Amino acid sequence: MDTAHEPPAVAPERRVADPGPPGGRRRRRPSGEAPPLPYELGRSGKFWLFMVAYFMSLLLGVVFFPSLEDLFSRWDAQRTEWLARLRTPSLTNIALVVNGLAATWTIRVLRWGTIAVLIGFRRWRHLFVFLGAILVTEGVVVYLSLFLARERPFDIPILAPWQGYALPSRPMAGLAVTLVGIAYSLVVPGIARAWMKWAIGVILVVLVFVRVYLGVEHPTDAGFGAIFGVAVALTAFRWLTPNHVFPVTYRRGKAAHLDVGGRRGEAIVSAIREQLDLEVLQTKPIGLAGSGGSTPLRLRVAATDEEPERYMFAKLYAQSHVRADRWYKLGRTLAYGALEDETRFTSVRRFVEYEDYALRLLQDLGLPSPRAYGVVEITPEREYMIVMEFFDGAVEISEAEIDESVIDQGLQLIRKLWDEGLAHRDIKPANLMVRGSELKLIDVFFVQVRPSPWRQAVDLANMMVVLALRSDAETVYRRALNWFTEDEIAEGFAAARGVAIPTQLYSEMKRDGRDLLTQFRELAPARTPVAIQRWSIRRVLLTAVVAVAFLLSVLLVVNNWAVFA
Amino acid sequence: MRRLAILPLAGFVLAACTATLNSDEEVLCSPIGERTVLILAAQAVPSATLMPCMSDFPAGWSFAGSDIRSGRARFWLESDRAGVRAIEVELTRTCDVSGLDEAPNAGGELDVRVYVEPLTFQPYAANRYFTFTGGCAIYRYRFTPTDEWPNLALEANDALTFLPRSTLVAHVEAERDQTLCGASAPPCVVGD
Repeated sequence: MDTAHEPPAVAPERRVADPGPPGGRRRRRPSGEAPPLPYELGRSGKFWLFMVAYFMSLLLGVVFFPSLEDLFSRWDAQRTEWLARLRTPSLTNIALVVNGLAATWTIRVLRWGTIAVLIGFRRWRHLFVFLGAILVTEGVVVYLSLFLARERPFDIPILAPWQGYALPSRPMAGLAVTLVGIAYSLVVPGIARAWMKWAIGVILVVLVFVRVYLGVEHPTDAGFGAIFGVAVALTAFRWLTPNHVFPVTYRRGKAAHLDVGGRRGEAIVSAIREQLDLEVLQTKPIGLAGSGGSTPLRLRVAATDEEPERYMFAKLYAQSHVRADRWYKLGRTLAYGALEDETRFTSVRRFVEYEDYALRLLQDLGLPSPRAYGVVEITPEREYMIVMEFFDGAVEISEAEIDESVIDQGLQLIRKLWDEGLAHRDIKPANLMVRGSELKLIDVFFVQVRPSPWRQAVDLANMMVVLALRSDAETVYRRALNWFTEDEIAEGFAAARGVAIPTQLYSEMKRDGRDLLTQFRELAPARTPVAIQRWSIRRVLLTAVVAVAFLLSVLLVVNNWAVFA
Repeated sequence: MRRLAILPLAGFVLAACTATLNSDEEVLCSPIGERTVLILAAQAVPSATLMPCMSDFPAGWSFAGSDIRSGRARFWLESDRAGVRAIEVELTRTCDVSGLDEAPNAGGELDVRVYVEPLTFQPYAANRYFTFTGGCAIYRYRFTPTDEWPNLALEANDALTFLPRSTLVAHVEAERDQTLCGASAPPCVVGD
């Protein structure tokens, strides 16, 4: 077969960058220009980075270059001796009292108190991170001190109790990890936590001086211990319990999301102006209680030549949301097996790209979902925002009066999804809005192309239950027969069990009091329930790995019980 | 997969670190090694003029670990026949030897008095106390059941001995140019 192509008769038109209309604000960020919200280490971040670099270079230098060790030891000894020369009986008494802050019993009381409070408030994730940070700190410090084998200071009498080698200081590391753990697991972020961080800093600095004064440790021993403890706790809590995903709050509901004020708020406004050519007049967080996976916002946008002033809906995604999604999916895979695609997202960019794709796909197919306005880059690879249509004046279906027209729209919506080979996977009252007599479908992040038949059947059953909550099972069933066969409906209610029913829908059913699932099952032909548990080699292996990790953690706690008890 | 590749590396680092811990040189009387625990023990009990240590390690015996804190220093010896922590050596400032029988000092160290508690055999268990100026060393024998216990006890007794603190003071002075405060040392730079 001849695959040669004739050269085009007409030369292709050369693309010329569109300068845009005069005064247009949409612009491409030139190479080298900072993004709307550049990722920058804060002052504290720079400080910790510097300290870690300092101690790492010190450790490597001491291990590999004996002459450097001598130099470093002399410097450390001189500082220790200098402080010890300030000794007076009264100052020593004060120092001994202050040194009690780093005593084993002080640290134990702080740790057990924190553990008790975390258990009391059922803040399990913070509890595990707290325990893990302590174990890691204590383990590394013990082994590192044995490896480095640095004696206590010479030349001066030691005035306070000590245990083991000096570098890094175990009491300083233990106190630091405990105090920072308390700040991040018990103290509500804001002014209180900021003050506590400063207080921790002051306490640790004072203790470094006190322990050097008492001759228990050199400045490097105490300093390294404190910095290591702080670094482990900070990393663990910021990484594993970011506040906008796992908030520390003493009120009901999910209160905290990404802060959209300050520099981030300004960055959002300028990014939307430059990237979508929209002038944001107001940014308001909404629906926080029902959203753990992103930070939802309502934007008030200025009028343009084509459209009046209006609202838009936006969702802000950060890396922590990707991590939370991974844990969520791991949990589902362990609990139920490969019910459906539980593959994790690898980046925030993939997150927003997928949601943008799902929005545009549903729009293309004519489904009543929000129109996508695009993705906005806030901080490259770290924070993105997806902007979409806001159904102004719409109310959640659970608060709306619905008639047979709305019921039909809901059922047709599922039929359309089925016909197009799609599943929404999160049909619940919060995702179905009614404006006038129109039904709207929102939150399309979980939309799946070519899902399992089970998943599609679940969508139908959930939609029927949602509609029946505002009417009755008989009406919904009768209307459903216009678009679905009896067997299809029976399949839906055979599949809609346990995990398949969203939490919000389950709560609404309980509050309603009618046993709608049973009513639908009685109306539909009898059908054997569809098994939810799926077993695969992946699930078995994952379960085994998690079980082993859990056992190791328990053994670690038991073997290091002395750390707590 | 890239993350999984870190695991063997982490294992190697951990193994390397572990390999450097608990080496026999830590409790050898001579030569005083880079990784000796004797200096830290001397800091723990600064009044003690003698430090318990091993003259050598008989075949099958090895150093099993230490726990040194202010006021007390302990280390353990293990044997392929007498078991893990077959002997615990503890150094403190003082110890209670009232009611114990004094025994001849087979080691011959000057100014050391030896006391023994009644023994038990099969398994072999014994406590021996050595008192000297500024300190007391206790050897606790806790063998797993073995017919070889007499030979093993004899081997250990021959290897366990004392190092004058002055030797450690001189070592620190020579190697670190610093003073190991306490017994047998010149006055420290800063008094308490």
